[in-house]
Amino acid sequence: MSTVHERPHDIALAASGTKPPLTQRPGLLSQHLGTALVGAIIGYAIGHWLGNTISSHYPYIANSGQNAIADTLGLMLGVVGWLLGIGALNYPLAKLVGRQPSSEVEIQGWSKYFRYSTNHKTVGLQYVVGVLLFMFTGGLLAMAIRTELLSPTTHVFSPDTYIKIVSEHGTVMMMMATSIVVGPLGNYLVPLMIGSRRMAFPRIEAFSFWIFVAGYMVIFSAMPFGGFPTGWTGYAPLQTQAGPGMVSYLFGFAVIGLGMMAAGFNIAVTIINYRAPGMTWSRVPIFVWSILATAALLTLATPTLFAAGVFGLLDRTVQTAFYVTEHGGSSYLWENLFWFFGHPEVYIMALPGFGIAGEILPVFTRKPLFAYKVGAAGMIGVSLLSFFVWQHHLFQSGINPDMRPLFMLTTELISIPTGFIYLVGMGTMYKAKIRFDLPMLFVMALYFNFLIGGVTGVFLSDVPVNVTVHGGFFVLSHFHYTIMGGLLFAFMAGLYYWLPKMTGRMMNRRIGLWHFWTMFIFFNLTFFPMFIIGLLGQPRRVFTYAKNLQGLNDFSSISAFVLGFSFLIFFFNLVWSLYINPVKAPDNPWDSLGLEWQTATPVPAHNFDRIPVVLADPYHYSEVNAPAVADLGPSSPPDEPSLSGAPV
Amino acid sequence: MKTIQDQGYTSTPEEAEFELRAHIGSIWSGGRLFIGMYTFLLASLVFAYFYLRSANNGLLWRPDHITAPTHYGWAVFLATVATGIMAVTGQRRLRGGALIDWQVAGWTALTTSVIALILQIWELSSLPFYPGSSGYASTFIGFSVFNIMTLVITSFWLETALARSHRLGRERGRNALLSTDADAQSWRANVSAMTYFVGFAALSGAFLFAMFYQL
Repeated sequence: MSTVHERPHDIALAASGTKPPLTQRPGLLSQHLGTALVGAIIGYAIGHWLGNTISSHYPYIANSGQNAIADTLGLMLGVVGWLLGIGALNYPLAKLVGRQPSSEVEIQGWSKYFRYSTNHKTVGLQYVVGVLLFMFTGGLLAMAIRTELLSPTTHVFSPDTYIKIVSEHGTVMMMMATSIVVGPLGNYLVPLMIGSRRMAFPRIEAFSFWIFVAGYMVIFSAMPFGGFPTGWTGYAPLQTQAGPGMVSYLFGFAVIGLGMMAAGFNIAVTIINYRAPGMTWSRVPIFVWSILATAALLTLATPTLFAAGVFGLLDRTVQTAFYVTEHGGSSYLWENLFWFFGHPEVYIMALPGFGIAGEILPVFTRKPLFAYKVGAAGMIGVSLLSFFVWQHHLFQSGINPDMRPLFMLTTELISIPTGFIYLVGMGTMYKAKIRFDLPMLFVMALYFNFLIGGVTGVFLSDVPVNVTVHGGFFVLSHFHYTIMGGLLFAFMAGLYYWLPKMTGRMMNRRIGLWHFWTMFIFFNLTFFPMFIIGLLGQPRRVFTYAKNLQGLNDFSSISAFVLGFSFLIFFFNLVWSLYINPVKAPDNPWDSLGLEWQTATPVPAHNFDRIPVVLADPYHYSEVNAPAVADLGPSSPPDEPSLSGAPV
Repeated sequence: MKTIQDQGYTSTPEEAEFELRAHIGSIWSGGRLFIGMYTFLLASLVFAYFYLRSANNGLLWRPDHITAPTHYGWAVFLATVATGIMAVTGQRRLRGGALIDWQVAGWTALTTSVIALILQIWELSSLPFYPGSSGYASTFIGFSVFNIMTLVITSFWLETALARSHRLGRERGRNALLSTDADAQSWRANVSAMTYFVGFAALSGAFLFAMFYQL
């Protein structure tokens, strides 16, 4: 492989005759991240001033020392200013006044990543950086947590600060995790995998990213407001008693919820409508199936989160009593609404991981994907069943005891389609001559970790066990095994696998191996002891613990520091492979049959010169007389559907 | 500077036809998916209503069967239903080729929608209860917020569809909107999706009206 010094896709395009609007020309006066920040600051200041003006004389505000109306209006207009500044509102405003909205200008060069781009590949890479930033900040907070837990008696933080760090860590990580695959890989790869030149609604796609960033900043704005003490679940009545940081939590959730709905909506519509001719449902790549199932959950479950956030904000601003039991509301209402979103969210995080694994396994085993249709059906089954299990989160808090067996049963039922998906992976690896490249190593680690997370999940679905270990480190370890051990390892597998296509550079294998082994070993050394710590009775979200648990906690903390270091290795590898010692990636470095690998690297602006005609699913590895996956040429082959749908 | 649509991008007639069909299909399925999404949003409110009603914590679900001003409720309800009926009627006339009829129905629907929006906001200033005085009062405020949101979306969608019809009519002649031209097909698909949403808003508005004013 040769070293390259220029990036062909960064070569600026020649200027056309007509000038774009001033806001879209390159330069400081155009719309970009800087103007978005200015807009957000101005919007926040106006909103806060307005809120104070209209409400500061209300007795309940004048005497409270905090003004939730001003805080909420500030955040609301701050987000509007952010969207105005980045250019997200140009199109709807132009439509409102009856003008022909101008097409977004795709500025070339690095500055396009700081703008409102309607190119799905740019948005995908923006998401890569966005979720890595989320993960990095959330990870720093995790390091703070483990530092505090080094000793039960010597403290770094006060209990108040500790719970706020835990809450911020949980919220940031969960919000990041909902978008970690759909955002970067879904947006970048789905059009390529289904043979499309574009997304169905590119502006909605760009909106989903920039509102996601706004949500990140809103959630972090809780810190200067004093944070929130509720953990990521925001339970009432603590929610209603908390300080002004809670407004950031509720509003941040609503804002990120908007982004999740937008992302899911756009991707689902794209998959339904923009599949290339011949791309029947039985030929759709398994990753696309997983993204479709996830998009359905994002689209249908997230509105509940949005509504729950709005109700919470109304409680804090106009003094409704949705979650105030003493005034005719109910704190359990929040729990129900939150978990009606929250449990499907677990599968929003799990399914794309299995989609990545299903895509990578056949390539590195050189075998067809085992039981492809069972895998796709399993994903749809999981997404449907996930709407019927939320009450298991309420086993300990107010559910009618007679309802427990029902939700125990539905929770255990969901392990069946999950098991299908798992068996697809096992069946593909069975008797295979595996190539142990980096993506494959991460996928195998995913299966190892998820087995532990999944089996402990079955235990937790049983009411007796749930009653025993609820609220302790056992649960904490379980969901870290499924989310971090499952999704994050899958995301890393996906990055090592697809970054050569996305960036045109190969990731360094040696550094990658260091990253993998440190991450895999120290992930398990960090979280496995937490099962024992939990069974020995250590509760979550408490900054002190029994003295006899210090050894295990210290072991876990030190492992966590090395685990954190493994991410620095990854970041170093990124910088090394992309900038310091770039090695040009071939078009198809893994010899994959996937449609996304059949186009050039870097991917052309419109993905395919001609819309491909798909002839077979992309999993016919090592088959004698395997059919061609697609015809990428200008003419359609005989007996296959043409672009107009009629046989040629 | 080239737009994203111009970057070395050429389509054969068959590809252009394929992409147009995908675009129209996206508007169709996107419109329906949006209704599904909105249904879950409103279902959250309905769940909150019945959850708090059945819990009746502290016997504070609805002390003295207090109700929001019914004359406002009826006015908003009737205006919302009128919006739906006008949008659906206009869409039927448009299918029959009567563009002017659609525009008249559209402007009427927009007017009733804006009236409903103003009344829904105005009602908040004359409520006979404090927002946190009961479960009913709280969910009513939630209903008002969601209804305002629905009416804003309805009005925006109606207005932009109307504005686009006038612009396209001005630029290409009225009959162009009824042609097989790509822009015209896209506009008609948008009108169809909008009509479904406005109809859905009228139906859901009627359901919520019954919940909050009649039950």
